[in-house]
Amino acid sequence: MNSWLTVAAVLLPIAGGILIPILPFRRRIHMEWYIEALVIATSVLVWCLLLHRPEELVLLRFTDQIVFTLRIDGLGTVFAGLISVLWPLAILYSYEYMTHEERERPFFMFYTATFGVTLGIAFAGNILTMYFFYELLTLVTIPLVIHTFTRDAVLAARKYIYFSMGGAAFGFIAVVFLLYYGGNTEFVLGGFLGSLPGGLNFNLVLAVFVIGFIGFSVKAAMFPFYSWLPDAGAAPTPVTALLHAVAVVKAGAFAVIRLTYYCFGTEMLIGTWAQKLVLSLAMFTIVFGCSMAVRETHLKRRLAFSTVSNLSYIIFGAAIMTTAGLAGALCHMVFHAIMKISAFFCSGAIMHQTDHHFIPDMDGFGRKMPWVYGAFTVSALGMMGVPGCCGFISKWLLAEAAIGAGTVWTWIGVAALLISALLTAIYMMTFVVRGFFPGKDFDYEKLRDVRDPNWKMILPLAVFSIAIVGFGLYSTPLTEFLSRVAAGLI
Amino acid sequence: MSFVQNVPCFSILLAMFAAIITSAVRGKTARKICIGLTIIEGGMSAWLLSFLWKTGESYVYVMGHFPAPWGNELRAGMLEAGMAFFLCVIMVLSLWGGVHEIREDLEADKAQFYYIMADLLLASLLALVYTNDMFTAYVFVEINTIAACGLIMMKQSDLTLAAAVRYMIMSLMGSGLLLIGICLLYDMTGHLLMSNIKEQIISLATTETYHIPLLLTIGLISIGLAIKSALWPFHTWLPGAYGYSTVSSSAMLSSMVSKGYIFLLLKIIYRVIGADTFAGSHVINILFIFGIVGMVIGSLDAIRENNLKRMIAYSSVAQIGYIFMGIGIGTDAGVGAGMYHIFAHAASKALVFIAASGLIRASGGKSRIQDLAGAGFRNKLAGAGFVAGALSMIGIPGFAGFASKLMFAQASLVKAELAIPVFMALAVSTVLNAIYFMRVALLIYTPDDVPLVDAVAGAFRLRENQKHSVRNVQPEGVLSPEGITGMAGTNAVAGSTARADSLAYAAAILLFIALNLFLGICTQPVLQLIQRGLVIFG
Amino acid sequence: MQIMLLCALFIPVLSGVVLLAVPEKWLPRERLRTLAVAVLFLTLAATVGVIFGYVMGQHTPLTLFHLTRQLSLVLRIDALGMLFLGFISFVWLLAGIFSLEYLNHETHERRFWGFYLLTLGALQGLSMAGNLVTMYLFFEMMTLVSMPLVLHAETHEAIMAGLKYMFYSMCGAYMALFGVFFLYYYCDTLDFTAGGVMTVQVWNQNSAILLVAVFLMIAGFGVKAGMFPMHAWLPTAHPVAPAPASAVLSAIIVKGGVLAIIRSVYYIVGAENIRASWVQNTWLVLALITIFLGSMLAYKEPVLKKRLAYSSVSQASYILLGLAFLNVGAMTGALLHIVFHAFIKTALFLSAGAIIYKTGKTRVNELRGIGKEMPVTIWCFTFVSLALIGIPPASGFISKWYLATGMLESGLPVFAWLGPVILLVSALLTAGYLLPVTIQGFLPGADYDYGKLVKHEPSAKMLVPLIILASGALIMGIFPGGLIRFLQQIAESVF
Repeated sequence: MNSWLTVAAVLLPIAGGILIPILPFRRRIHMEWYIEALVIATSVLVWCLLLHRPEELVLLRFTDQIVFTLRIDGLGTVFAGLISVLWPLAILYSYEYMTHEERERPFFMFYTATFGVTLGIAFAGNILTMYFFYELLTLVTIPLVIHTFTRDAVLAARKYIYFSMGGAAFGFIAVVFLLYYGGNTEFVLGGFLGSLPGGLNFNLVLAVFVIGFIGFSVKAAMFPFYSWLPDAGAAPTPVTALLHAVAVVKAGAFAVIRLTYYCFGTEMLIGTWAQKLVLSLAMFTIVFGCSMAVRETHLKRRLAFSTVSNLSYIIFGAAIMTTAGLAGALCHMVFHAIMKISAFFCSGAIMHQTDHHFIPDMDGFGRKMPWVYGAFTVSALGMMGVPGCCGFISKWLLAEAAIGAGTVWTWIGVAALLISALLTAIYMMTFVVRGFFPGKDFDYEKLRDVRDPNWKMILPLAVFSIAIVGFGLYSTPLTEFLSRVAAGLI
Repeated sequence: MSFVQNVPCFSILLAMFAAIITSAVRGKTARKICIGLTIIEGGMSAWLLSFLWKTGESYVYVMGHFPAPWGNELRAGMLEAGMAFFLCVIMVLSLWGGVHEIREDLEADKAQFYYIMADLLLASLLALVYTNDMFTAYVFVEINTIAACGLIMMKQSDLTLAAAVRYMIMSLMGSGLLLIGICLLYDMTGHLLMSNIKEQIISLATTETYHIPLLLTIGLISIGLAIKSALWPFHTWLPGAYGYSTVSSSAMLSSMVSKGYIFLLLKIIYRVIGADTFAGSHVINILFIFGIVGMVIGSLDAIRENNLKRMIAYSSVAQIGYIFMGIGIGTDAGVGAGMYHIFAHAASKALVFIAASGLIRASGGKSRIQDLAGAGFRNKLAGAGFVAGALSMIGIPGFAGFASKLMFAQASLVKAELAIPVFMALAVSTVLNAIYFMRVALLIYTPDDVPLVDAVAGAFRLRENQKHSVRNVQPEGVLSPEGITGMAGTNAVAGSTARADSLAYAAAILLFIALNLFLGICTQPVLQLIQRGLVIFG
Repeated sequence: MQIMLLCALFIPVLSGVVLLAVPEKWLPRERLRTLAVAVLFLTLAATVGVIFGYVMGQHTPLTLFHLTRQLSLVLRIDALGMLFLGFISFVWLLAGIFSLEYLNHETHERRFWGFYLLTLGALQGLSMAGNLVTMYLFFEMMTLVSMPLVLHAETHEAIMAGLKYMFYSMCGAYMALFGVFFLYYYCDTLDFTAGGVMTVQVWNQNSAILLVAVFLMIAGFGVKAGMFPMHAWLPTAHPVAPAPASAVLSAIIVKGGVLAIIRSVYYIVGAENIRASWVQNTWLVLALITIFLGSMLAYKEPVLKKRLAYSSVSQASYILLGLAFLNVGAMTGALLHIVFHAFIKTALFLSAGAIIYKTGKTRVNELRGIGKEMPVTIWCFTFVSLALIGIPPASGFISKWYLATGMLESGLPVFAWLGPVILLVSALLTAGYLLPVTIQGFLPGADYDYGKLVKHEPSAKMLVPLIILASGALIMGIFPGGLIRFLQQIAESVF
């Protein structure tokens, strides 16, 4: 296909999004149709691009050394494919959700534009291009975080900016280092740095790697720079669900994978103190995030802490630095996206229908909102890693990769995964159980107005739940595809 | 000798001539003359630049055909021509952007003085850029100081007077050190022309004679100019001078004056002392360290600051730190990065100042940060300008600041031992920049009717009752008619003046944004200009 | 044959789902009960079909589907699976019949039946699992679908108990999963093979980590079997459930953990690999502690159902202890005890349930004269108590005999004699905590006011299952020959 279509895919949602506040929609439904059509068109275009992969496209030359390229490779395919499936569903969901929020049009403008920027990250052909879109992603998502303009939202937005830009500032160090020693080479699986840039202190290289790794993983909310993510839950739920469980945070994980596998190269890093350091951070976050989630009583914050933990699964997989590890990380990237977006949509549905935010206030809702709670239960089981749900598959792949790496460090990681699974069971299932079993003398009269939302909210939930179970039972094509991506065959 | 080679001389003279004739006319005409002639000078510089780009060499212009040591020389290369062109552009845009403030802040009958000072400032800066003679340089440094003082205190208030006095004292100390340096140089070498001094210094350096005096001279000159360009810890004059003066002055002072001195310092390094000699002295390390510390401390001060313009002024301290860090790296790449940052910072800092003025105006003239809530909605253009400038300052890809940040980092890798401090300083400084700029950027897009301002203001507390008064005076779009009516006689006149003002303001903001994007995206031509210019600079 | 496997699994699972999913008004109570019991009978029939098929020599595994290319879900029946399958569906049916009456005083009957059937399905799947992954799947299922049975009463206590049950079980499952991960990596296949699939070479190279893995599997699956130190959920969770549920929880689901341990130790790792290692020793110690501890706690416990739950803790560890000795005799004893204990403990809990249902009394010291009020129930209770204590010729004696002889044969230092001693002590304690019910019940003492005595004998729906179970426990003790031979074969096959 024509390479310029890659640019079109990135620009279409951005340009179309900018038009949203300008176009004179007479009725809300027109706007809904316009946005949905726009997003679906983009998704279709993206899938066409993924299936018929175009050549690399050099879009711009800043300097001779610094060029701006868009290219689709295996890793990008995974990420772009994932988000282009999720976005139309999330948009559908947000129509209903946003009825009780103000300033819809700016919201949808940024929400749609973010799609384009995220695609940009997926399609970026070299580290600088990725960095560009990475920063841009921060910028376009700020208005979404701050959208409600409550005190919490504003504080959250500030924190988000500081963390995100700060993280990028440290990631920048690695970017510059790579530019200097590797040239602005396109991403190559196995890294383009060669064994060791001439005459450099090896520890310096590792230090730069660690700084870059930590910098980029700020967006993936790795300890110690995680605290923006729970706060960002102040945003409307479609944002929390799609951006802070999928697009933005996975962009962080994606960047980390790019940095590790496609720039520095695992051959150089494996077994070094740098690997051990990032592994330990990831493992710690896995357990830490879950523990915080258990303590939290605000539903969205609890889920956000769960995201913190789950993202570190991905980072942990990446930090194993083997092909199997990457495959596991990618698998969890996809599956966690589905599971967490579903959980967030459920929480959003509850908030939208009842205006309750804290878990103790939600006792007994399960009987009144069976669809929502059913979907939530499925997603909870998935995240616990119950066999038959997709979380089990990714956890399995990660654990096998960790064992296959054959070091005690990664074995500890397996333990971390399982401890986290237990904690996940605690924080997810207490909520489910309280929802379905509020106690013997519970007065259901209080919940007379609590009921399931309409089909626009239920449909995405149903799709996600089916996907969770479906992938849990049959994921051979996907896992095969991901391991081929990880091996560089695609 | 092509005719275009007269441009340096002509443009300096033209600027001085403009100063003379503006003194004879009234405010509005003065402005037109000033801006018009600056545009002409800019055009001439561009012409010269294109000529030099083709020849690829620099040339010496002997004033009045008197040979040295009596005569006076100008010298022009790509870097000089580019700098001159850039200064003219910034000046025009700054004047456009601040035209409303000038009218408001200045007494009506004193407006022409402002433009005289501006013309003199430009003349002296052009002279600093082109001159090949140490003493001439000193003379124009003094002229520059006086003009800058005038610009600061033209808006007459206690604060500006105090700031101007402070600036005057610090500046004179700086020029004093410079003068002593020049005297010592003259003493050692017997020359005042730069190229002649350099020959002597090379022989001095090879014979190892006058080692200590030479070091002292380098130190004196460097520190002198560092004081004048507000390198930390000599920056104390800066917040007041930038923060309280009228916005055009702030923009010009931050974007042109301090940059002019830095350019002069670079010139002395390359053309008088010799880059190698300079790199061999320890002064360079001092500059490097001061630069890095300044990057951090300046930003920390900015975070603490409560007044928008003073905050931006402190940000300048940090940005000057970047440039000196680049010089301190001591390689061509480092200096090139510093040079790029001179352009980048000038383009973005002037933009931020001008946008800030628009925001302040849209908030009823209150310049405290917490009073700005929602200003970005009231004055959309200023909001956009501020955000663009802020992003450039932080170093978001696509904006000017990113390109120079990238170059600094890459330059530091040449000397691996400098890489870690530079990287760390860049990263920390980016974080700090993000903190204070994005805080304001968020605030100006927070509707002021939301009861959260206490949250946004963070460290600052806002009095609830102020918000409503602010909202009552909000003007539509970029227009801000209040205040103007008091000056002009009738509403009709006021309307047309206001429209003209807002047009100029809009043009300034948009062109500044464009300039930022140009520097951020079309990096290559500018970088090439700097690289080729540096080759023939010495 | 394969269709029978599917039937045995999916009849309870699907009907459970259907019961839960259809609107309440379509299922009035009578229809619901009829349906549920019909399903239980059908399941038993399917099970018989499976067993018959196996006896006729049809051993082909049935691959349900592949989760990923490497992970597949396989159903396969072997002798051990057959054993479990048989007694599970039988006991389930009896407890189900008992519930018909018992549930009259519970609410949410539809939910109870739904999850009751689902739990049966999970257990059937667990018994028929052909590889470790399938087994793990059904193990998790079992936890999840049996939790609603625990918290059925929906009192605060019940809900907390349900959560505690789930979290303990999950913790155990994840510990076991750690081991599963490692075994998967180091074994070529996870298909259950008598004697294990681990090659000696691989084992020797990686024995350090593999020992940890195996230990975690034993400890993890052991949580379900109430092994010390993770036994605390059991006395909390079992008593709060409705009596039929606590009966099957205590008698059957605990065996789920035991089955999982047998499968992973004897069918994947291989008994030889862990012989004389620290894993075996620790396992022995833990089992011994649990036996003693469980009996002691039961002895001190005043609430009858809790007492029975502690008794389960102790009895399940008889089985674990037998397994831990890693020889044929002890293992035969353990397998025997699995079956016997299933009957006995179900009967005990059902009696307790009948007492609660009829009199509302829960504490042992309230039960004075109960034997006069409900003689049949208490006679059944007495018989199975004797069986559990191990009075010949009741069944418990047989299993303990085999356990003890197996231990003495094992030749392990200390444990060879410590085991039987603890067994004896525990048997004494068992007598101490079970017989007071009988004694007080039939011999209330001189001051008992016979005038107040009311006959409380429950209806046939409750009594018949009780009687069947009690007589089963007795008869199996009297004619154990066939069963012993069958179990010995199983035990011999894995060594």
